[in-house]
Amino acid sequence: MRDTVITKDMIANPTSHYGNAKASTRHFITQRVTGAINIVFLGFLLFIVVRLAGQDRADIVGVLGAWWVGVPFAVLIGVVAVHMRNGMRDTLEDYMHGSVYRLAMLLNTLFCLLIALAGAGAVLKIVFWG
Amino acid sequence: MAELTLRKADQPQKGKTWPKPEGATRLREFHIYRYDPDKADNPRIDTYFVDLDDCGPMVLDALLYIKNRTDPTLTLRRSCREGICGSCSMNINGLNTLACTKGMDESAGPIKIYPLPHMPVVKDLVPDLTNFYAQHRAIEPWLKTTSPTPAKEWTQSVESRAKLDGLYECILCACCSTSCPSYWWNGEKYLGPAALLQAYRWLIDSRDETQTERLDNLEDPFKLYRCHTIMNCTKVCPKGLNPAKAIAQIKKMMVERKAA
Repeated sequence: MRDTVITKDMIANPTSHYGNAKASTRHFITQRVTGAINIVFLGFLLFIVVRLAGQDRADIVGVLGAWWVGVPFAVLIGVVAVHMRNGMRDTLEDYMHGSVYRLAMLLNTLFCLLIALAGAGAVLKIVFWG
Repeated sequence: MAELTLRKADQPQKGKTWPKPEGATRLREFHIYRYDPDKADNPRIDTYFVDLDDCGPMVLDALLYIKNRTDPTLTLRRSCREGICGSCSMNINGLNTLACTKGMDESAGPIKIYPLPHMPVVKDLVPDLTNFYAQHRAIEPWLKTTSPTPAKEWTQSVESRAKLDGLYECILCACCSTSCPSYWWNGEKYLGPAALLQAYRWLIDSRDETQTERLDNLEDPFKLYRCHTIMNCTKVCPKGLNPAKAIAQIKKMMVERKAA
Protein backbone atom coordinates (compact mmCIF):
# COMPACT_ATOMS: atom_id res chain seq x y z
CA MET A 1 0.00 0.00 0.00
CA ARG A 2 2.49 2.59 -1.18
CA ASP A 3 2.13 5.92 -2.88
CA THR A 4 5.24 5.33 -5.01
CA VAL A 5 5.06 5.29 -8.80
CA ILE A 6 5.01 1.72 -10.11
CA THR A 7 7.43 1.28 -12.99
CA LYS A 8 7.58 -1.40 -15.66
CA ASP A 9 10.69 -2.85 -13.99
CA MET A 10 8.85 -3.15 -10.67
CA ILE A 11 5.98 -4.94 -12.39
CA ALA A 12 8.34 -7.32 -14.18
CA ASN A 13 10.27 -8.12 -11.00
CA PRO A 14 8.98 -11.44 -9.58
CA THR A 15 9.82 -10.42 -6.01
CA SER A 16 7.92 -7.09 -6.06
CA HIS A 17 5.24 -6.89 -3.38
CA TYR A 18 2.57 -4.23 -2.91
CA GLY A 19 1.19 -5.17 0.50
CA ASN A 20 1.57 -7.52 3.45
CA ALA A 21 2.18 -10.91 1.84
CA LYS A 22 1.63 -13.15 4.87
CA ALA A 23 -1.46 -11.23 6.01
CA SER A 24 -3.04 -11.56 2.54
CA THR A 25 -3.52 -15.34 2.80
CA ARG A 26 -4.59 -15.00 6.44
CA HIS A 27 -7.27 -12.49 5.42
CA PHE A 28 -8.40 -14.82 2.64
CA ILE A 29 -8.73 -17.76 5.06
CA THR A 30 -10.46 -15.61 7.70
CA GLN A 31 -12.95 -14.34 5.14
CA ARG A 32 -13.83 -17.86 3.97
CA VAL A 33 -14.03 -19.33 7.50
CA THR A 34 -16.17 -16.49 8.88
CA GLY A 35 -18.34 -16.72 5.75
CA ALA A 36 -18.96 -20.42 6.40
CA ILE A 37 -19.73 -19.72 10.08
CA ASN A 38 -22.16 -17.00 8.99
CA ILE A 39 -24.19 -19.58 7.06
CA VAL A 40 -24.69 -21.47 10.34
CA PHE A 41 -25.39 -18.16 12.08
CA LEU A 42 -28.09 -17.33 9.55
CA GLY A 43 -29.89 -20.60 10.36
CA PHE A 44 -29.55 -19.92 14.09
CA LEU A 45 -30.83 -16.35 13.63
CA LEU A 46 -33.80 -17.45 11.54
CA PHE A 47 -34.69 -20.07 14.15
CA ILE A 48 -34.70 -17.49 16.94
CA VAL A 49 -36.64 -14.89 14.91
CA VAL A 50 -39.33 -17.45 14.00
CA ARG A 51 -39.38 -18.81 17.56
CA LEU A 52 -39.91 -15.30 19.01
CA ALA A 53 -42.33 -13.99 16.38
CA GLY A 54 -45.24 -12.16 18.00
CA GLN A 55 -43.92 -12.54 21.54
CA ASP A 56 -43.29 -9.72 24.05
CA ARG A 57 -40.01 -8.52 25.60
CA ALA A 58 -40.24 -10.84 28.59
CA ASP A 59 -40.36 -13.89 26.30
CA ILE A 60 -37.44 -12.57 24.22
CA VAL A 61 -35.38 -12.03 27.37
CA GLY A 62 -36.39 -15.51 28.50
CA VAL A 63 -35.00 -17.15 25.35
CA LEU A 64 -31.94 -14.96 24.75
CA GLY A 65 -31.18 -14.93 28.46
CA ALA A 66 -30.34 -18.63 28.44
CA TRP A 67 -26.52 -18.71 28.33
CA TRP A 68 -26.47 -21.50 25.73
CA VAL A 69 -28.44 -19.21 23.36
CA GLY A 70 -27.09 -15.78 24.32
CA VAL A 71 -23.36 -16.52 24.47
CA PRO A 72 -23.12 -18.22 21.01
CA PHE A 73 -25.31 -15.41 19.67
CA ALA A 74 -22.88 -12.78 20.99
CA VAL A 75 -19.86 -14.68 19.60
CA LEU A 76 -21.53 -14.94 16.20
CA ILE A 77 -22.18 -11.19 16.15
CA GLY A 78 -18.43 -10.77 16.64
CA VAL A 79 -17.75 -13.18 13.75
CA VAL A 80 -20.11 -11.19 11.51
CA ALA A 81 -18.24 -8.00 12.40
CA VAL A 82 -14.89 -9.61 11.46
CA HIS A 83 -16.37 -10.79 8.15
CA MET A 84 -17.83 -7.33 7.53
CA ARG A 85 -14.46 -5.65 8.16
CA ASN A 86 -12.60 -8.03 5.84
CA GLY A 87 -15.20 -7.68 3.09
CA MET A 88 -15.05 -3.90 3.23
CA ARG A 89 -11.22 -4.08 3.27
CA ASP A 90 -11.36 -5.87 -0.09
CA THR A 91 -13.54 -3.13 -1.55
CA LEU A 92 -11.40 -0.33 -0.13
CA GLU A 93 -8.22 -1.96 -1.46
CA ASP A 94 -9.82 -2.10 -4.91
CA TYR A 95 -10.72 1.55 -5.19
CA MET A 96 -8.60 3.56 -2.74
CA HIS A 97 -4.89 3.99 -2.32
CA GLY A 98 -2.36 5.62 0.00
CA SER A 99 -3.54 7.88 2.79
CA VAL A 100 -7.19 7.84 1.61
CA TYR A 101 -7.17 4.05 1.95
CA ARG A 102 -5.59 4.18 5.42
CA LEU A 103 -8.19 6.67 6.65
CA ALA A 104 -11.08 4.67 5.17
CA MET A 105 -9.69 1.46 6.68
CA LEU A 106 -9.42 3.10 10.11
CA LEU A 107 -13.06 4.23 9.91
CA ASN A 108 -14.05 0.74 8.72
CA THR A 109 -12.31 -0.88 11.71
CA LEU A 110 -13.89 1.55 14.18
CA PHE A 111 -17.36 1.04 12.68
CA CYS A 112 -17.09 -2.77 12.81
CA LEU A 113 -15.74 -2.62 16.35
CA LEU A 114 -18.66 -0.41 17.37
CA ILE A 115 -21.18 -2.79 15.78
CA ALA A 116 -19.55 -5.80 17.48
CA LEU A 117 -19.42 -4.14 20.91
CA ALA A 118 -22.97 -2.78 20.71
CA GLY A 119 -24.48 -6.02 19.37
CA ALA A 120 -22.60 -8.51 21.51
CA GLY A 121 -22.81 -6.18 24.52
CA ALA A 122 -26.61 -5.93 24.22
CA VAL A 123 -27.01 -9.71 24.02
CA LEU A 124 -24.59 -10.34 26.93
CA LYS A 125 -26.44 -7.78 29.03
CA ILE A 126 -29.63 -9.82 28.58
CA VAL A 127 -27.75 -13.03 29.42
CA PHE A 128 -26.14 -11.73 32.64
CA TRP A 129 -28.43 -8.97 33.85
CA GLY A 130 -31.75 -9.63 32.18
CA MET B 1 -8.82 6.71 -6.03
CA ALA B 2 -9.72 4.53 -8.97
CA GLU B 3 -10.72 6.49 -12.08
CA LEU B 4 -14.32 5.48 -12.74
CA THR B 5 -15.02 7.90 -15.61
CA LEU B 6 -13.14 9.07 -18.69
CA ARG B 7 -11.54 12.49 -18.69
CA LYS B 8 -13.22 14.96 -21.06
CA ALA B 9 -10.27 14.80 -23.43
CA ASP B 10 -10.60 10.98 -23.65
CA GLN B 11 -14.33 10.83 -24.36
CA PRO B 12 -15.04 9.61 -27.90
CA GLN B 13 -17.01 11.94 -30.15
CA LYS B 14 -19.00 11.30 -33.32
CA GLY B 15 -16.55 11.05 -36.20
CA LYS B 16 -16.64 10.87 -39.97
CA THR B 17 -19.04 8.74 -42.00
CA TRP B 18 -17.07 7.23 -44.86
CA PRO B 19 -18.70 6.70 -48.30
CA LYS B 20 -20.39 3.41 -49.09
CA PRO B 21 -18.63 1.13 -51.61
CA GLU B 22 -19.97 1.81 -55.11
CA GLY B 23 -22.38 -0.74 -56.55
CA ALA B 24 -22.61 -2.77 -53.35
CA THR B 25 -25.96 -4.40 -52.61
CA ARG B 26 -25.24 -6.16 -49.29
CA LEU B 27 -23.66 -3.72 -46.85
CA ARG B 28 -22.59 -4.04 -43.21
CA GLU B 29 -22.11 -0.95 -41.06
CA PHE B 30 -19.11 -0.60 -38.72
CA HIS B 31 -18.57 1.94 -35.93
CA ILE B 32 -14.86 2.02 -35.17
CA TYR B 33 -12.90 3.84 -32.46
CA ARG B 34 -10.25 6.15 -33.90
CA TYR B 35 -7.50 7.92 -31.96
CA ASP B 36 -4.40 9.62 -33.26
CA PRO B 37 -1.85 10.55 -30.56
CA ASP B 38 -0.25 13.08 -32.93
CA LYS B 39 -3.41 15.18 -32.95
CA ALA B 40 -4.91 17.05 -30.03
CA ASP B 41 -8.46 15.95 -30.94
CA ASN B 42 -10.62 13.70 -28.80
CA PRO B 43 -10.99 10.08 -29.92
CA ARG B 44 -13.85 9.67 -32.40
CA ILE B 45 -16.13 6.95 -33.68
CA ASP B 46 -16.00 6.69 -37.48
CA THR B 47 -18.67 4.92 -39.51
CA TYR B 48 -17.65 2.60 -42.36
CA PHE B 49 -19.53 0.32 -44.75
CA VAL B 50 -18.30 -3.04 -46.01
CA ASP B 51 -19.51 -4.84 -49.14
CA LEU B 52 -20.33 -8.33 -47.86
CA ASP B 53 -20.20 -9.76 -51.39
CA ASP B 54 -16.57 -8.71 -51.69
CA CYS B 55 -15.28 -9.54 -48.21
CA GLY B 56 -14.52 -12.60 -46.06
CA PRO B 57 -16.87 -13.63 -43.23
CA MET B 58 -14.81 -12.54 -40.20
CA VAL B 59 -14.58 -9.16 -38.51
CA LEU B 60 -10.84 -9.09 -39.29
CA ASP B 61 -11.68 -9.52 -42.99
CA ALA B 62 -13.92 -6.47 -42.74
CA LEU B 63 -11.25 -4.42 -40.95
CA LEU B 64 -8.72 -5.29 -43.65
CA TYR B 65 -11.32 -4.46 -46.31
CA ILE B 66 -11.72 -1.02 -44.70
CA LYS B 67 -7.97 -0.51 -44.38
CA ASN B 68 -7.25 -1.60 -47.96
CA ARG B 69 -10.14 0.06 -49.73
CA THR B 70 -11.63 2.85 -47.64
CA ASP B 71 -9.23 4.28 -45.06
CA PRO B 72 -5.56 3.21 -45.04
CA THR B 73 -4.92 5.18 -41.83
CA LEU B 74 -6.97 2.72 -39.74
CA THR B 75 -4.44 1.07 -37.42
CA LEU B 76 -4.74 -2.42 -35.94
CA ARG B 77 -2.59 -5.40 -35.03
CA ARG B 78 -3.06 -8.69 -36.86
CA SER B 79 -0.93 -11.59 -37.99
CA CYS B 80 -2.03 -15.21 -38.22
CA ARG B 81 -5.75 -14.65 -39.00
CA GLU B 82 -6.66 -17.98 -37.38
CA GLY B 83 -6.73 -17.50 -33.59
CA ILE B 84 -3.16 -18.55 -32.88
CA CYS B 85 -1.15 -15.37 -32.46
CA GLY B 86 -3.54 -13.29 -30.34
CA SER B 87 -2.62 -10.06 -32.13
CA CYS B 88 -6.07 -8.94 -33.28
CA SER B 89 -7.71 -8.92 -29.83
CA MET B 90 -10.16 -6.05 -29.49
CA ASN B 91 -13.56 -5.18 -28.06
CA ILE B 92 -16.24 -6.15 -30.57
CA ASN B 93 -19.85 -5.36 -29.73
CA GLY B 94 -18.94 -5.06 -26.04
CA LEU B 95 -16.99 -8.31 -25.70
CA ASN B 96 -13.24 -8.76 -25.85
CA THR B 97 -12.39 -11.28 -28.53
CA LEU B 98 -10.22 -11.98 -31.57
CA ALA B 99 -11.34 -10.22 -34.74
CA CYS B 100 -10.08 -13.16 -36.81
CA THR B 101 -12.33 -15.74 -35.16
CA LYS B 102 -15.38 -13.50 -34.68
CA GLY B 103 -17.88 -13.92 -37.50
CA MET B 104 -19.81 -10.91 -38.77
CA ASP B 105 -22.93 -13.06 -38.83
CA GLU B 106 -22.78 -13.61 -35.04
CA SER B 107 -24.58 -10.32 -34.42
CA ALA B 108 -27.15 -8.10 -36.09
CA GLY B 109 -26.93 -4.36 -36.73
CA PRO B 110 -23.83 -2.17 -36.85
CA ILE B 111 -20.67 -3.76 -35.46
CA LYS B 112 -19.00 -1.58 -32.82
CA ILE B 113 -15.25 -2.00 -32.44
CA TYR B 114 -13.08 -0.51 -29.71
CA PRO B 115 -9.56 -1.29 -28.49
CA LEU B 116 -9.20 -3.56 -25.43
CA PRO B 117 -10.77 -1.68 -22.49
CA HIS B 118 -8.96 0.31 -19.84
CA MET B 119 -5.56 0.16 -21.53
CA PRO B 120 -3.54 3.12 -22.81
CA VAL B 121 -4.15 3.45 -26.56
CA VAL B 122 -1.15 3.70 -28.88
CA LYS B 123 -3.33 4.41 -31.93
CA ASP B 124 -6.85 3.44 -33.04
CA LEU B 125 -7.30 -0.25 -32.12
CA VAL B 126 -3.76 -0.78 -30.81
CA PRO B 127 -3.46 -0.84 -27.00
CA ASP B 128 -0.20 -0.46 -25.09
CA LEU B 129 0.52 -3.93 -23.66
CA THR B 130 3.83 -3.03 -21.98
CA ASN B 131 2.59 -3.71 -18.44
CA PHE B 132 0.73 -6.82 -19.56
CA TYR B 133 3.95 -8.34 -20.90
CA ALA B 134 5.87 -7.19 -17.80
CA GLN B 135 3.34 -9.07 -15.67
CA HIS B 136 3.90 -12.18 -17.77
CA ARG B 137 7.66 -11.75 -17.21
CA ALA B 138 7.04 -11.40 -13.46
CA ILE B 139 5.69 -14.93 -13.11
CA GLU B 140 8.85 -16.34 -14.70
CA PRO B 141 7.20 -18.46 -17.41
CA TRP B 142 9.96 -20.98 -17.83
CA LEU B 143 11.16 -24.20 -16.19
CA LYS B 144 13.17 -23.53 -13.02
CA THR B 145 15.11 -26.39 -11.49
CA THR B 146 17.70 -26.94 -8.79
CA SER B 147 18.74 -30.52 -9.67
CA PRO B 148 21.61 -31.14 -12.10
CA THR B 149 20.43 -30.96 -15.68
CA PRO B 150 19.84 -34.50 -17.06
CA ALA B 151 21.91 -35.76 -19.96
CA LYS B 152 18.98 -35.92 -22.37
CA GLU B 153 15.85 -34.09 -21.23
CA TRP B 154 13.52 -33.36 -18.27
CA THR B 155 11.00 -36.15 -18.49
CA GLN B 156 7.37 -36.09 -17.43
CA SER B 157 4.70 -38.78 -17.08
CA VAL B 158 1.66 -38.75 -19.34
CA GLU B 159 -0.55 -38.00 -16.30
CA SER B 160 1.61 -35.05 -15.23
CA ARG B 161 1.64 -33.68 -18.75
CA ALA B 162 -2.16 -33.95 -18.91
CA LYS B 163 -2.42 -31.52 -15.98
CA LEU B 164 -1.09 -28.77 -18.24
CA ASP B 165 -3.97 -29.11 -20.69
CA GLY B 166 -6.24 -26.09 -20.55
CA LEU B 167 -3.31 -23.93 -19.37
CA TYR B 168 -0.50 -24.04 -21.94
CA GLU B 169 -2.82 -23.05 -24.80
CA CYS B 170 -2.98 -19.39 -23.71
CA ILE B 171 -1.96 -17.10 -26.60
CA LEU B 172 -1.53 -13.93 -24.45
CA CYS B 173 -4.16 -11.99 -26.37
CA ALA B 174 -5.05 -10.05 -23.16
CA CYS B 175 -8.81 -10.46 -23.70
CA CYS B 176 -9.19 -11.92 -20.19
CA SER B 177 -7.09 -9.42 -18.25
CA THR B 178 -8.65 -6.40 -19.94
CA SER B 179 -12.18 -7.68 -19.29
CA CYS B 180 -11.52 -7.94 -15.54
CA PRO B 181 -12.79 -5.00 -13.42
CA SER B 182 -10.15 -5.74 -10.78
CA TYR B 183 -7.50 -5.38 -13.48
CA TRP B 184 -9.11 -2.09 -14.60
CA TRP B 185 -8.79 -0.58 -11.12
CA ASN B 186 -5.41 -2.08 -10.18
CA GLY B 187 -3.81 -2.94 -13.52
CA GLU B 188 -0.30 -2.20 -12.30
CA LYS B 189 -0.36 -4.20 -9.07
CA TYR B 190 -2.76 -7.04 -9.89
CA LEU B 191 -1.13 -9.60 -12.19
CA GLY B 192 -4.39 -10.30 -14.00
CA PRO B 193 -5.96 -13.56 -15.20
CA ALA B 194 -3.56 -14.19 -18.11
CA ALA B 195 -0.38 -13.97 -16.01
CA LEU B 196 -1.95 -15.94 -13.15
CA LEU B 197 -3.10 -18.70 -15.53
CA GLN B 198 0.51 -19.02 -16.67
CA ALA B 199 1.72 -18.84 -13.05
CA TYR B 200 -0.47 -21.86 -12.25
CA ARG B 201 0.75 -23.66 -15.37
CA TRP B 202 4.32 -23.50 -14.00
CA LEU B 203 3.28 -24.16 -10.38
CA ILE B 204 1.81 -27.56 -11.29
CA ASP B 205 4.46 -28.56 -13.81
CA SER B 206 5.92 -31.76 -12.32
CA ARG B 207 9.40 -30.85 -13.66
CA ASP B 208 9.55 -27.46 -11.93
CA GLU B 209 11.38 -27.49 -8.59
CA THR B 210 10.72 -23.96 -7.32
CA GLN B 211 7.08 -24.15 -6.28
CA THR B 212 7.72 -22.61 -2.84
CA GLU B 213 9.60 -19.67 -4.35
CA ARG B 214 6.89 -19.14 -6.96
CA LEU B 215 4.17 -19.16 -4.27
CA ASP B 216 6.21 -16.73 -2.13
CA ASN B 217 6.40 -14.34 -5.08
CA LEU B 218 2.67 -14.57 -5.76
CA GLU B 219 1.52 -14.16 -2.15
CA ASP B 220 0.39 -10.55 -2.07
CA PRO B 221 -2.93 -8.75 -1.47
CA PHE B 222 -2.65 -7.14 -4.92
CA LYS B 223 -0.75 -9.54 -7.17
CA LEU B 224 -3.08 -12.48 -6.45
CA TYR B 225 -5.92 -11.59 -4.10
CA ARG B 226 -7.47 -8.84 -6.25
CA CYS B 227 -9.30 -11.67 -8.03
CA HIS B 228 -12.90 -11.62 -6.78
CA THR B 229 -14.05 -14.50 -9.02
CA ILE B 230 -16.01 -12.17 -11.29
CA MET B 231 -15.46 -14.72 -14.11
CA ASN B 232 -15.36 -12.23 -17.00
CA CYS B 233 -11.97 -13.75 -17.89
CA THR B 234 -13.44 -17.19 -18.41
CA LYS B 235 -16.44 -15.81 -20.28
CA VAL B 236 -14.39 -13.96 -22.88
CA CYS B 237 -11.37 -16.26 -23.40
CA PRO B 238 -11.33 -16.91 -27.17
CA LYS B 239 -9.45 -20.17 -26.59
CA GLY B 240 -12.06 -21.49 -24.13
CA LEU B 241 -9.65 -21.55 -21.17
CA ASN B 242 -10.63 -21.01 -17.53
CA PRO B 243 -8.28 -18.50 -15.85
CA ALA B 244 -10.69 -18.06 -12.90
CA LYS B 245 -10.33 -21.74 -12.01
CA ALA B 246 -6.53 -21.52 -12.25
CA ILE B 247 -6.52 -18.53 -9.88
CA ALA B 248 -8.78 -20.41 -7.46
CA GLN B 249 -6.30 -23.30 -7.55
CA ILE B 250 -3.41 -20.95 -6.69
CA LYS B 251 -5.41 -19.60 -3.72
CA LYS B 252 -6.06 -23.20 -2.65
CA MET B 253 -2.32 -23.94 -2.79
CA MET B 254 -1.68 -20.86 -0.64
CA VAL B 255 -4.19 -22.06 1.97
CA GLU B 256 -2.86 -25.62 1.93
CA ARG B 257 0.70 -24.55 2.57
CA LYS B 258 -0.47 -22.25 5.37
CA ALA B 259 -2.32 -25.17 6.95
CA ALA B 260 0.59 -27.58 6.52
